[in-house]
Amino acid sequence: MTHESQANMEKSIEKLIYRAALALDDHNWDDWFKLCDNEFSYSITSFSPEINKNMTYFSGNKKELKGLMDMLPKHNTDHSPLHRHTSVYTVDVADDGKTADAISSVTIYQNMLDGINSHIDSGESRLFVIGKYIDKFKITDGTPKFMSRETKIDNRRLDKGSHWPL
Amino acid sequence: METNKQIPEKGAYEASSKNSFGDGAKASKQLFIEEQQNILKNIWVPVCHESEVPEPYDFRTSSIGNENIIVCRAPDGKINALLNVCPHRGMLIERRPQGSFLEGQASGNPKRITCMFHAWQFDMRGNCVYVAREKEGYQDRFCKDDAGLRRLRCNVNFGGFVWVNMNDQPVASLEEWVGDAFSSLEGKINSTPLEVVHYRKEFIDTDLKAQLLKTPEKVDIHSKHSFFNFGHFMTEDRRTGANTDRKKNSFPTPDAMQSIRVNLFPGFSFHLDGPSLNVATVTPVNENRLMVEHKSLVPQVESETDRSTRTRFYNANSGPFKAMGHDKPKAAVQNEEKKQAVADHLLNEWSRWMDQHPDGESRLSDLTMRRRRNAILDKDEDLIGPKVVVIGASHAGIALADRLRKNGFSGKVAIFDRQVGGPMERPPLSKGFLLGGGETVESKSLLRQKKWYKTNKVRLNTQTSVQAIDVKNKTVTVNNDDIVKYDKLVIASGAIPRELPDTVGMGNSFTLRQPSDANAIRQAANNADSVVIIGGGYIGLEVAASLRKKGMDVTVIEAASRILARVASQPLADHLEQLHRDNGVTVFTGIGVEKINKEDGSFESVTLSNGEKIKADMLITGIGVFPDSKLAAEAGIETQRDDGGAILVNEMMQTSDEDVFAIGDVAIRRDQVIAVESVHNAQETASIAAAAITNTLAPTLQTPWFWSDQYDTKLQSVGIVPVQDEEVYQVVRPSKREHGMSFWSYKGLELVAVEVVNDPATYMEARQCLDTKRSPDPSQISSLSYSPIDSGGGRS
Ligand SMILES: Cc1cc2nc3c(=O)[nH]c(=O)nc-3n(C[C@H](O)[C@H](O)[C@H](O)COP(=O)(O)OP(=O)(O)OC[C@H]3O[C@@H](n4cnc5c(N)ncnc54)[C@H](O)[C@@H]3O)c2cc1C
Ligand code: FES
Repeated sequence: MTHESQANMEKSIEKLIYRAALALDDHNWDDWFKLCDNEFSYSITSFSPEINKNMTYFSGNKKELKGLMDMLPKHNTDHSPLHRHTSVYTVDVADDGKTADAISSVTIYQNMLDGINSHIDSGESRLFVIGKYIDKFKITDGTPKFMSRETKIDNRRLDKGSHWPL
Repeated sequence: METNKQIPEKGAYEASSKNSFGDGAKASKQLFIEEQQNILKNIWVPVCHESEVPEPYDFRTSSIGNENIIVCRAPDGKINALLNVCPHRGMLIERRPQGSFLEGQASGNPKRITCMFHAWQFDMRGNCVYVAREKEGYQDRFCKDDAGLRRLRCNVNFGGFVWVNMNDQPVASLEEWVGDAFSSLEGKINSTPLEVVHYRKEFIDTDLKAQLLKTPEKVDIHSKHSFFNFGHFMTEDRRTGANTDRKKNSFPTPDAMQSIRVNLFPGFSFHLDGPSLNVATVTPVNENRLMVEHKSLVPQVESETDRSTRTRFYNANSGPFKAMGHDKPKAAVQNEEKKQAVADHLLNEWSRWMDQHPDGESRLSDLTMRRRRNAILDKDEDLIGPKVVVIGASHAGIALADRLRKNGFSGKVAIFDRQVGGPMERPPLSKGFLLGGGETVESKSLLRQKKWYKTNKVRLNTQTSVQAIDVKNKTVTVNNDDIVKYDKLVIASGAIPRELPDTVGMGNSFTLRQPSDANAIRQAANNADSVVIIGGGYIGLEVAASLRKKGMDVTVIEAASRILARVASQPLADHLEQLHRDNGVTVFTGIGVEKINKEDGSFESVTLSNGEKIKADMLITGIGVFPDSKLAAEAGIETQRDDGGAILVNEMMQTSDEDVFAIGDVAIRRDQVIAVESVHNAQETASIAAAAITNTLAPTLQTPWFWSDQYDTKLQSVGIVPVQDEEVYQVVRPSKREHGMSFWSYKGLELVAVEVVNDPATYMEARQCLDTKRSPDPSQISSLSYSPIDSGGGRS
């Protein structure tokens, strides 16, 4: 890979991450899935200093995610939208140009709508989660797609009705 | 019958239930405090799991009620729970949620719990192993052996959970408290060592009682449920189709299907849900906020695939990001009767702890009963025989314990005192102690060295206040409501200095009775140039002399026509007054205090009855004491007056209750005219009481003696000068010693008292005379060639 094509690939991966954030913010699952490889797997993890362990709070492949996403509107009692603020910190494209890794910081705000008492709470924005996206990409014919995303959150305080995917 | 009715509103339970929970929908702050005190500090709380402290020196912090605790594993593998509060100044010691003490921290040594404030160090059992500047700072008054972290009751059981009870004498042992609640679960969760793999917390805007009322929502028609004592219940869900007797369906296999939930009051849930044990514990944060901590446990040793199967199951059904879970359609699973039964069960238990039970059932009185039982069982098993409890560890109390042992008493002796540190003598407090350099004075002034208590098997409990006496049940209540049983009780609670109403709570104003008072005066005097002392008694004059020696400007104000009006003869008083004047003290006699003037809440000046205003940097009030007889009076023991006064005793120091004795400054014999507050009186009355308790010969009574040091003058007096008696007169006897002299008080020809200045030999002679009831000839006593001993003068 030339230096220039490597730089271009890094740019497109950055854009991919930002586009994914927009799609997720908009609950536009179809657009999001389009950015993911068929083998895509997703997880939410955290390290707990309380029990000194890495934990997996959620994990699923594309098919499972799709199934769950279809049920989401029925079962979520809290429809407060989430707003992701993402900064891509590192993108590392493999020498052979077929895969890449990226680490981004993510801060997610929740804009209150109907969680507990909408009369009081709606309209307020609260800090919801802080963490990192640890992403892996597959690059086919110059186009990167998500192979996996680990959303590693710092929160261990997670109240009932916590949203996913983050 | 299955119904579709919604769970009734909270108010509906209250109206329909026989409980009277009349606090309305909102929990008050008071209720929250009471729940913390009554419930959380008395029950067994599963604070963590043993796997959270896997290695020696590992620790985990937590809290119960509003108390911070730390759980740590000792080198021998044992898990201990300690109060996470430094005994030095009460600071929180360890702040991390979890960690290890094996390696040293920046502010602490390896293998030690170190307080970052002044570096006191503790081992994994809470023993204090290092106190900075122990010897220099505290001498022998304090020893690190006495300063451990408070060890809490802690058991590891029921699946490896660490259970802690803040109450040293809980209402039930852990096993009794849990009862059979874990019976369906125990075999399964004990079959393999577990570890915590998931942790998260959740906050709910509600209070404990409201949360209890929500618990029944988890009960549905398909579950079998059983109730247990202490508000616990268990539900087993039959719908899973699991035959829990079959291995395949049963925990710990990764595809286990059973659902068994044990709910321990007031909010600890252990849910064996398929392949994992999910635990939720409730911690009230304030009157309208609860924290719920969720943990999931799985077998410690298993393949990666099995672990992942369990994690997925857990995440899908109970994890924070489960897709469905909490949104189950409710109508299908309602069962009104069952819910009502669960609600009643929980609220009944709540009301038992909160003393609101309609039938008067009370966990708190159960607790008291149990304490009583424990108190009777008691410690010191190697000691047999009756138990003597002493209130007050000063001259009288310690002398009593000493005398009891010397008389061969082999039972238990427990002394309680609210003071900090080893009991000290009082006389030096107004003398050398105030002059600074007091550290040597301090260590010399201990009534007994620490070793003495051990050797004599005297259980000294300092910082322990006795709050009540129950003569009927023969118990005393100490500190945190612990009940201690006695066979004989000795009240040696001494006296409390009188204060003027204006000086109460005023800054730079002091009285002097306890070591802590003396410390405060010493410190204030280091930053002051002048002092006003109200009261020309012995303590006032001694303090005057000490502070004058320090170079301070000292004024003594005595309302009576002379100093020492109550306790010394006129010639001695004149002599001492002159001594003070010669040393530069301003002495006012026959002049009262009109007003005490403050500035910003602190002492500023006194206005005298003659209008004169005296400014000074500090004020000391030494106007006498009153006996600390409140406990006795409240217990119905006879005192001089209904509202107090000294405790009345017979010649054996026995009070109106035959098992209660009173000695020292707090007691007065029924036939005694004036109270004598002195070390001699404390020791003698202690000896008399000890003889009565041990049924041994009472001591031969000595003539009362007393001493005082002012400047370089040493006063020793023997006998009591009847200052009110106009027939009494004094004869002055010169001395062979420089600045020596003595004042011999006679009534007629009878010698009644002798006050000796700077002449110990004459004092010994005088004492011998009075002890042997010998009255030297008053017309000759002023002559040095006349010997009071060899004169042969017997009392007529
Ligand atoms: C500064 C000073 C100088 C003195 N100088 C002399 C002197 O030179 N010569 C002399 O003969 N006498 C002197 N005395 C008097 C003498 O010290 C007292 O008479 C003597 O201390 C009385 O002893 P006591 O044990 O009866 O009471 P105290 O010494 O008053 O002790 C009573 C103890 O009981 C404790 N207590 C009370 N109630 C409770 C409770 N409910 N729970 C737990 N603990 C309780 C108190 O904390 C205290 O430690 C002096 C006194 C003082 C204050
Ligand atoms: S507060 Fe802990 S050492 Fe001082």
